Amino acid sequence: MGIRWQHIALWLAFIVFMLALPELVSKGTLRTIIFANFLAIFAISWDVLSGRTGYISFGHPFLVGIGAYTSAILSYRFGFPIAASIPLAVIATMIGGTLFFLPALRIRGSYFALVTLAFMELMYQLVQVIRPDLTGGTRGMSGIETITRGAVNNYYLSFSLMIIIALAMWLVMKTRLGTALSAIGMNEESVRGSGLDTTKLKLAAFMIAAFIAGLGGAFYVHYLGSIAPRALFDINFLFTIIVAALIGGASTIIGPMIGAFFLTFLLEYLRPVLPGAERYFIYGGIALILYMYQPKGIYEVAKQGWSRLRAARAGAGP
Amino acid sequence: MSQIIIQGLLLSGLYALIAVGFTLIFSIGRVLNLAYGAYLMIGGYVYYHFTQVLGMPQIAGILLAAVFGSVIGILKYRLIVKTLKGDHVAVEISTLILAVVIQAGIVLIFNDSSKILHPIVPGVWRIGGATVTFNILTAALASWAIIIGLYLFVRNTHIGRAMQAVSMDVKGAAISGVDPDRINLITWGISGALGAVAGVFFASYTQLNPSMWVAPLIIAVAVVIVGGIGSIIGSLIVAHIIGFMEIISTTLIAAELRGVFTMLLIIGVLVLRPRGLFGREEL
Repeated sequence: MGIRWQHIALWLAFIVFMLALPELVSKGTLRTIIFANFLAIFAISWDVLSGRTGYISFGHPFLVGIGAYTSAILSYRFGFPIAASIPLAVIATMIGGTLFFLPALRIRGSYFALVTLAFMELMYQLVQVIRPDLTGGTRGMSGIETITRGAVNNYYLSFSLMIIIALAMWLVMKTRLGTALSAIGMNEESVRGSGLDTTKLKLAAFMIAAFIAGLGGAFYVHYLGSIAPRALFDINFLFTIIVAALIGGASTIIGPMIGAFFLTFLLEYLRPVLPGAERYFIYGGIALILYMYQPKGIYEVAKQGWSRLRAARAGAGP
Repeated sequence: MSQIIIQGLLLSGLYALIAVGFTLIFSIGRVLNLAYGAYLMIGGYVYYHFTQVLGMPQIAGILLAAVFGSVIGILKYRLIVKTLKGDHVAVEISTLILAVVIQAGIVLIFNDSSKILHPIVPGVWRIGGATVTFNILTAALASWAIIIGLYLFVRNTHIGRAMQAVSMDVKGAAISGVDPDRINLITWGISGALGAVAGVFFASYTQLNPSMWVAPLIIAVAVVIVGGIGSIIGSLIVAHIIGFMEIISTTLIAAELRGVFTMLLIIGVLVLRPRGLFGREEL
């Protein structure tokens, strides 16, 4: 399994630090961290599918959106309790994930990315037209039941959800399934050649990704209390998810989390300096430059810096 | 009925023009330029700024749009595509990020309210029961002229044939004395100019706003993928299928559903026939 005590110590230190955070920072910062937590969940979901297997999904908001809309419609229109609507939303998202999986049987690379983009646009248009009495049409819904109130409670909720997903994924990726998924990303033919059923493996990756996306989407909508098609099925939302995973470091667990926190705080800290529309311009520009500089992400930059530091120290030693 | 046929033909001509610049890059560099829609947006806004804000003549506006488009195309090739050295996924993701950055840039300069372009050629023409604005007629005629001109250019000039050679086999072309880098640069420039000019017509058909780049990008993608890469005839046929589907669904079913069939077509064709309806390209 390759789990060492350092890993466990680092995770524990991180969890203790995050749990103590509400004592240390303001409510506004906590709200920012809540968004970062949700973004990290979506980025981890994207990474399970795309970062590992190399099937780049440009339609991840499609999955998140199914989870969010299903739970919102069930609880708002039909009066389901949240405890029932969230599991049902996750199941619906996994059904949507199988739909997503069909093209991956035959195509990969750029073509797969385009089909998933088409799925997202299709969903955006259908949500507004089909049964607007349920989906709320273009304006969406508001006044959806929330799980808890207040920044501190929501912070603990979103952080627990994120850390459970991250730890579970970390453990799953340590197993042979995780190794096989990464191997598909490197060379699918040779994985098949070694006698593994790549279709089953890919299906597993899609189901895990859909499960996380659905869970994240459903909790997210019950945090926000409102939902609108343009906020979900949007290229900007897609951009944030993908860039969070890539800038942090794809096919790691900590990478998408770093990326999500980095992006959210970058946008937040630019606010006092650049209050207007310039903010998104600079924000996108920084993302572009960082990605072009190191497509493997901040995690890789830090790792290289660390090993260079150690090499320098070893060289300077006696 | 005649309304549907005439409108369909005109819209399809515009869509063919939108797709042409995208096909050019895809067949030569095998790169999906997801910032292609941004050329259209830049073209539309440049035209708007120079003709409607500064009051320059329309032809100058179109030419300036083409110049801006091709400069951006060349910069994109030099700064992004060449730096990433043919890593397709990295190019796609950086062009996607670039498109979002350009969108933010447009909001910054022109703010995010929608703007209406004056028709390039004002007036209406009635034939039978159908009304045709001179604007869309001009757009369709111009796009046919541009497509035929491009076809002749690719077939008959030295540079055009070098472009074909690079699209077939980069190494082979390099051995025969073609500089693939220069050809790529020229292609990116042409593609940018075509996209920007298409953007002027597209914007005069719809309207200008900072998120207008998504719809034409998806149309271009649909035409290229469904038509089959490298098949000009295939692209033209699919541009007509999509144009007619939109007009039919707008007039007979519901205006909101106009994009739905395009998406279903992309998904269906890519899942069932990944090589496209008329394609010959190996995946």
